[in-house]
Amino acid sequence: MVKAVVMPKLGQSEETVKIVHWRKQLGETVAKGDILFEIETDKAVLEVESFYAGTLLKIIAGEGVTVPVQTTVAFVGDPGEAVPEVVVPPLPRSEVRSPRTEAKEPLTRPALRDTLSGGERARKQNPSPLPGERVPDEGGEGGGLFPPQPTFRESPPPVFKISPRAAKLAKESVIDPTRIVGTGPSGRIVERDVKQYLEAQGYGRLRITPTAKKLAAREGINLLSLAPKEDGSQIAVADIDGLLAERPKPMTRMRQIIARRLTESYTHAPHFFVTVSADVTELESLRAELKAQGASYTLTDFILKAAALALEQFPLVNSTSDGDSIRWHSKIHLGLAVALEQGLVVPVIREANELTLAEIHARAQELTAKARAGQLTPADMTGSTFTISNLGMMDVENFTAIINPGESAILAVSSGAKQPVVRNDQVVIRSMMKMTLSSDHRLIDGALAARFLNSIRQTLEEISLWQRSI
Amino acid sequence: MAAFDIVVIGAGPGGYPAAIRAAQLGASVALVEKEELGGTCLNWGCIPTKTLIASSELFARIKSAGAMGLHVDNASFDYAAMVDRKDQVVQKLRNGVKQLLKANGVAVFQGSASFQSRNRIQVDPAGSGAETVVLAAGKTIISAGTASAMPAFLPRHERVVESRGFLNLRVLPATTLVLGGGIIGCEFACMLAQLGVQVTMVELLDDIIAVADADVRRELRRHMEKTLGIRILTGVTLEEITADDRRVRGRAGQENLEADLLLVALGRKPVTSSLKLENAGLAPNERGFFDVDAYGRTNVATIYAVGDVTGGPLLAHLATSQGLVAAENACGRYLHKNETVVPNCIFTTPEIGTVGLGEQEAQQQGRKIKTGKYLMGALGKALAIGEPIGFVKWVADAETDQLLGAHAIGPHATDIIAEAAVAIRAELTAADLAHTIHAHPTLAEAWMEAAHVLLGEPIHSAPPRKGTKSA
Repeated sequence: MVKAVVMPKLGQSEETVKIVHWRKQLGETVAKGDILFEIETDKAVLEVESFYAGTLLKIIAGEGVTVPVQTTVAFVGDPGEAVPEVVVPPLPRSEVRSPRTEAKEPLTRPALRDTLSGGERARKQNPSPLPGERVPDEGGEGGGLFPPQPTFRESPPPVFKISPRAAKLAKESVIDPTRIVGTGPSGRIVERDVKQYLEAQGYGRLRITPTAKKLAAREGINLLSLAPKEDGSQIAVADIDGLLAERPKPMTRMRQIIARRLTESYTHAPHFFVTVSADVTELESLRAELKAQGASYTLTDFILKAAALALEQFPLVNSTSDGDSIRWHSKIHLGLAVALEQGLVVPVIREANELTLAEIHARAQELTAKARAGQLTPADMTGSTFTISNLGMMDVENFTAIINPGESAILAVSSGAKQPVVRNDQVVIRSMMKMTLSSDHRLIDGALAARFLNSIRQTLEEISLWQRSI
Repeated sequence: MAAFDIVVIGAGPGGYPAAIRAAQLGASVALVEKEELGGTCLNWGCIPTKTLIASSELFARIKSAGAMGLHVDNASFDYAAMVDRKDQVVQKLRNGVKQLLKANGVAVFQGSASFQSRNRIQVDPAGSGAETVVLAAGKTIISAGTASAMPAFLPRHERVVESRGFLNLRVLPATTLVLGGGIIGCEFACMLAQLGVQVTMVELLDDIIAVADADVRRELRRHMEKTLGIRILTGVTLEEITADDRRVRGRAGQENLEADLLLVALGRKPVTSSLKLENAGLAPNERGFFDVDAYGRTNVATIYAVGDVTGGPLLAHLATSQGLVAAENACGRYLHKNETVVPNCIFTTPEIGTVGLGEQEAQQQGRKIKTGKYLMGALGKALAIGEPIGFVKWVADAETDQLLGAHAIGPHATDIIAEAAVAIRAELTAADLAHTIHAHPTLAEAWMEAAHVLLGEPIHSAPPRKGTKSA
């Protein structure tokens, strides 16, 4: 029986979702639980499993298509079964993503392994745009901050004429014929031109092993672009492999999203940095004490709690600005940066100011575990109003973080380390931990940032407060 | 004190070519050897064993010559005469090395070398009554080689011998236990079996010659067991070994074994204990071998190591290649070792020649390959010479058809592997090889036919079900 595959509702905030990759092809057998396709939200790339077993009979929403949640995107059933007619519902204008996102599609194609096709290849490898080449639109996504960029229409390639014999010789020689000047009728390249070109370029001196040549031909490498070996030996497979290894490859989708969001934040929000050193000697002792009693908290738990308190005290830090207006967020939702092998994710602890330290600890543990298992939903990752990035376990002195888009500040927490410090005119050894606040300077002045950060520091150092509250 | 630009320790196939090359490059060279010029290879390894094996193989062929229409009645052999011939061959080659060294102006010092410091080498003449000499060395090349391992659990008795001890025997035992199914164990086992000795082999691992390609191993084991009548016990240890004046005894699993002789072939260990390495600041690895860089240097920049003492495959030709590179670098040149393609020849019956990537190795690397195999039994020349045994096999990259490995077992496999080594080093594709005209009728044609098979277009064999295997 034919079953409709419906785009799942991922969280409160996601109304539309973009399909970026179909893992299953049309006609392929699908088992229950198999990954059918990958979707992209503005936070992450997620995999969608099949609820049914059968054959993928029809894909309604292809790759690159954005659809509302709860929409039918495909049908699974027995081979040969009739499939109902469905069209992708048109999206409201505002829901359609900017062309820039859509234009990313070529990245799905493996950069290696594509074949040599003369002029196209030459243009692709040329870093500066040639006449007629599409210049990527660098405008921000839905930004409105920059005037619209001019876009260039794809014009037909320049006239390139070559005789079949000349083309064959160029292909056999594994060279790029577009660089040859033709002397035939109306500039057509004839065999004689290729021969002269090869001679002029010193092709005869080129020494290459048969497999290396074959590999170069397959990978579209122009042999004349290869530098001769210093020791006079033949160009070997290892040399070609070296070149291929240096070819740009597409980043994972997750990294692409990270790149886009960080660039957006760092270029739109003028970052202002301020650093303090918190004395965590007593907090460390308290932690050890609590641990001995069977309640183990992380330093991050304390910092989260302290930050929530400070955000209550300084509502401006829990606001955002687009440069024209200020929006205050009534809820304090703390983002917690979690490093994964593939990149960073920021799950959100909601209404952290309403939670006790124990509750914050439980929530942070739960979200971190989910993140490591790759089970975070978009809802888990949306809505944060302030973020904490703790690199304490990485043995760092100090660092600055980039503000998470949609927020106004981020706290970068470094490693606690024993330092000689002056207390009552005596040099004593204390555990000091540096924290650097990055804030959106459009909204947050230096003095505010300093007061806010010092409030967090004081809370962390106020050991009686913690003793009372636990 | 005599001073030399370069002192080479050990005159085996790594050391003496290094000495000659360094002398050719204008260096003053001293070569220190505690035993015989030519080292293990020439005196107690490759050359003497291959000389004896040539005799045993010829004898085996004579006995089976009836199949070729030749009647040789009462064929017999005189083992002592075979040993004499072996000694003559060795003597002749040894003299050749001596002449070469002399002609190149290499000063040969007879005695045992040890380091006084990183650039002082003491030579103690062993028993000749000559005085101890100290050599000042600019650079040193260590090519001290290896000796058979004789673990402590083995009784020290004249009936328990390793390969070198065996070569000194002038009488053949009637029965032999071979401990160790590696290359040396298998070569000796085949030779002995051809001379009528009852051979039982005990190997700890699951198969003999673990380094060889699985197809090749299977073929070899079949011939050793079925044709030569060797008893092969694998995956079992030989325990409770005792030796007395009459027999050697041991227990393999539940079974008690006994024989006239126990031939020990359990691998080889480096000969470095007498070198006083600590005086030079040399630090061999935990197995006692020297780790060297791509230029052959040890942890001491002026001291190079080549051959068996570097712990790689124990091959004379590899040692020579390394010796030449080290000599060039010690003379101020800048040469990289190139050891990506090293052929390995095994003189069992049938012979084995192998070079480059094996099928199982490729699978372990997760590399996609194709293979092409051609049976010697389908080749005119193999039938004509009465040895339609074994096969050749190519391993090639699945995408480019680049020839990556070659494995041959059968008549003259050790000779025909040379073509494969050249083809692989030159990075030829299977098509290049298949379209190279091979003389007919020769055994080397098998490579061309196997390349055709790999490409899925065999001429002299039935089209394969599927020549492509994916790793």
